[in-house]
Amino acid sequence: MARGVAVLLGTKKGVYVFRSGTARERWRLEGPHFPGQTVYHVAFDPRDGQSLFAGINMAWGGPRVEISRDLGKTWKTGANPAFPKGDDRTFSRTWHIEAGHANQPDVLWCGVEPAALFKSTDRGQSWEPVRALNDHEDRKYWSPGGGGLGLHSIAVDAVDPKSVTIGISSAGVYETSDGGRSWSRANQGTGSPLPPQPEGDFGCVHHLVGHPTVAGARFQQNHTGAYFKDAGDKKWTNVTKGLPTDFGFASAIHPRDPKVAYLFPLEFPMRMSPAATGAAVWRTRDRGKSWTKLANGLPRGASYEVMREGMATDRLDPAGVYFGTTSGEIWGSADEGRTWALIAQHLPPILSVETATL
Amino acid sequence: MGKVTVTLHGAFSEFAGGARSATVEATDIASALAGLVARYPSLAERLRDEHGRMREHVNIFANEEEMRYLDGERTALRDGDIVHIVPAVSGGEV
Repeated sequence: MARGVAVLLGTKKGVYVFRSGTARERWRLEGPHFPGQTVYHVAFDPRDGQSLFAGINMAWGGPRVEISRDLGKTWKTGANPAFPKGDDRTFSRTWHIEAGHANQPDVLWCGVEPAALFKSTDRGQSWEPVRALNDHEDRKYWSPGGGGLGLHSIAVDAVDPKSVTIGISSAGVYETSDGGRSWSRANQGTGSPLPPQPEGDFGCVHHLVGHPTVAGARFQQNHTGAYFKDAGDKKWTNVTKGLPTDFGFASAIHPRDPKVAYLFPLEFPMRMSPAATGAAVWRTRDRGKSWTKLANGLPRGASYEVMREGMATDRLDPAGVYFGTTSGEIWGSADEGRTWALIAQHLPPILSVETATL
Repeated sequence: MGKVTVTLHGAFSEFAGGARSATVEATDIASALAGLVARYPSLAERLRDEHGRMREHVNIFANEEEMRYLDGERTALRDGDIVHIVPAVSGGEV
């Protein structure tokens, strides 16, 4: 029986944690932790229900990963992911940290810039490069997007711990089915904003999520639209029709129903809410066949920017949905998006939103 | 080999558990930094990247001279010298 929820924010100036009971009506702030420091992502480990991981990207002292074993009360610096001696790359930013499969309680994954994946088998104390991906023959074609050349999305399969899907900007989606020993491109069905690459079939994934309980279920916001992919699918299914734009960054999926997903469409090139529809979350309940605008409680006419990690769902029933803006507002819905309430405003620019269902 | 004081300014003190200085045996800046990191291992990855290169935004002074204008990390030190590790006064990021 869940006791409540924590909403974990990575911001331009620290980690903010908002806690609430299961009603999700009143929120208590903890933090900021690491004040003044840029935090790209804060991850929760649902396997122990206690651990948090913060990817801090600071000019002074360089990037680092901070680890808490008590839900943010205390933190300890972990070892950096490090490229091997002689490698031409230098770890420069942490983009995403992901808890491993439930059957592998000590495994963590970390996506960094320049685009590379690292794996920890000791809960973040140390990291090993995933060489089959990091040195993939495609690497010469990977090129930085607007935010850099980052591996920003990691989806560990709900059932098979050897199945992991990742997203790189700009390269696209790669999958492994053997625990990381080999990786293959998985962009079939997605368009590309760029001219065709020499080897073809690259993409520009903006944010990819996996379903926490359904094997193989994936959802992504791409530069060119929104896409679903299920177990056994060879190609992504384009589900952009019905959305106000094909562009955006944030994406989230319902904790139980893999046909239900959320987006925060933006207008290119401003990267703000479309003028025609205003700030809104858009939800599908039928795997993208139709979309519904969810703006009840959001300010009319507002124009928000939501970053790629800026939206998440919790695991309560009904599910909570949350998004954070670069103008420092965190909004929450305790009824799966039907109504919205402001949790806090006047925060630093919000770079990531995650939840911990406690 | 002389006794050298290494002082930690700004964020670098926080990376060493709040310590503001350490006295180490050193002949040059490189050995002073090595002695400092032996005392405070948490500083290793804050000062250098995984290839051993000094990170950006780290300024190191031997007494009152910035090491870039001396012999870099090979700058010789004598007994009583002070090495300052100072975060660059930098900003303006959008």
